[in-house]
Amino acid sequence: MIDRVHFVLQETWAILRSSRAMQAAAISTAAIALILLGAASMALSKLDAIARALPNEFEASVFMQMSTPREQTLQFKAALETMPAIAQVTLTTREEAWEAEKQKLASEVNLADLPNPLPDKLTVRVHDPAQLPAVAEQIAQSPLVDEVIDSRKELQTVLSVARLVRWIALAIGGLLLVSALMLIYNSVRLTINARQNEVQVMALVGATLRSIRLPFVLEGMTQGALGGVVAALLVLLGASALSDYMVRQWAFLRDTPSGMSPILLITSLPSLGALMGGLCAWWATRRYVRI
Amino acid sequence: MGGAKVAIQTMVALKQVSVVYGEQHALRRVNLQVELGEFVFLVGATGAGKSTLFKLLYGALRPTEGEVWVLGQPLHQLKPRELPFLRRRMGIVPQHYPLLSHKTVWENIAYGLRAIGYNERAVRERVAKVLALVGLNLQARQMPHQLSGGEAQRAAIARAIANNPPLLIADEPTANLDPDTSWEIIDLLMHINRRGATVIVSTHNRTIVDRACQRVVAIDRGKIISDVPRGGYPIELDRLHATVLL
Repeated sequence: MIDRVHFVLQETWAILRSSRAMQAAAISTAAIALILLGAASMALSKLDAIARALPNEFEASVFMQMSTPREQTLQFKAALETMPAIAQVTLTTREEAWEAEKQKLASEVNLADLPNPLPDKLTVRVHDPAQLPAVAEQIAQSPLVDEVIDSRKELQTVLSVARLVRWIALAIGGLLLVSALMLIYNSVRLTINARQNEVQVMALVGATLRSIRLPFVLEGMTQGALGGVVAALLVLLGASALSDYMVRQWAFLRDTPSGMSPILLITSLPSLGALMGGLCAWWATRRYVRI
Repeated sequence: MGGAKVAIQTMVALKQVSVVYGEQHALRRVNLQVELGEFVFLVGATGAGKSTLFKLLYGALRPTEGEVWVLGQPLHQLKPRELPFLRRRMGIVPQHYPLLSHKTVWENIAYGLRAIGYNERAVRERVAKVLALVGLNLQARQMPHQLSGGEAQRAAIARAIANNPPLLIADEPTANLDPDTSWEIIDLLMHINRRGATVIVSTHNRTIVDRACQRVVAIDRGKIISDVPRGGYPIELDRLHATVLL
């Protein structure tokens, strides 16, 4: 068994060392396709995380005037709770909000000596999302209220961007993926052609079809996996650089939740590449390696 | 299944075998039986059907009709996954010996053994034995381009018999070789035959067939026209050639 595995690995290594230009072309095309796929996955995952972090469609955030005393805020809360459309009202006091903010930014800035700039906030949840605009409008008319944020618009924006990214990525990524698969297929086909003598010798001495085909399948898997490794590293480097740049430009992005984990990306792209490369190579050997 | 199972004493049996390429018959209702320990020349002009018949014997081709039995196995019915295991019991020397150009003679022979799962120790033993048998000990480390035509053919034969098969088939092993070297190759094949292997050789070299004095099966236009237990190049083929020339 060990001897057989050793023979197959030796053959695979011999294949990979031959026709290096073709190997490089197949690996780089696979890498480009997987970069696009990886980048799109990361972007979608981030957008999804942002969408999930936003208040859902049943909620609106009501920010009170800074001058509104706590007692009036509590009376206002009680009044809101009597409205039939409203299911629940939760108060986040300005002290609680400021404390949370100080803790969140503790590593970057000391806010301890600054006066609290935050107002009290009521989170209003309705029974039916369709009632939210009317309720929000009614609440906004109160002189005690500074601003009502109905999160549906932001949510819709995030979701439409996510949809756009998904379709663009699917279209371009799909095209590149097909071309990468065709290139791996072609590369394996050319290798089979170049190693016709070896294939013929193995067939004549009685090697099984599986052991003749396996080195070529491993070639395809290696090309796909290497393309995946290159893609994962480039996507991570790119995402990190882009994220730093965007946070410098738009400070609010600092608080957005993180998307796909780098470990997941580093493991999934090479695995996906290996799987696709292996399938392509298997297809090529089914067609061109016969005994 | 069709027909009774052939006893293992019979190494090869072709029963009413035809092979048709499109409209053209490469073989027509051929019957042939080769017994254990025989040495058989298959002779005929180029295009007579010798290579087609050889391809049938190692399963590279399926008959259009009829039965092909090799080493007791019905090749005409064998599943593709079973074919390699039958080939391990046959030595095959194809017409164009594909010695691997980037490997030495030793590595060429070892390659075939490794491909069918021999361990390194067994590979070393088998290669040494077979190199001694074909007389290529001194050329073991040479590359194929450094070999003469006869030495390259010996290396191809060595690779075919490295697994010690009971049946050896060689398609035109003396093609493009000078008369002396051709005879050396036939002499080697007869030596392998005397050691117990059944050998089938295709050729159109009249001199070596006459000199070897073995069983001769003549084929012409896809038909077996004579089968002589011990003889020279068949006179029927000479008559046919003469008719064609006239």
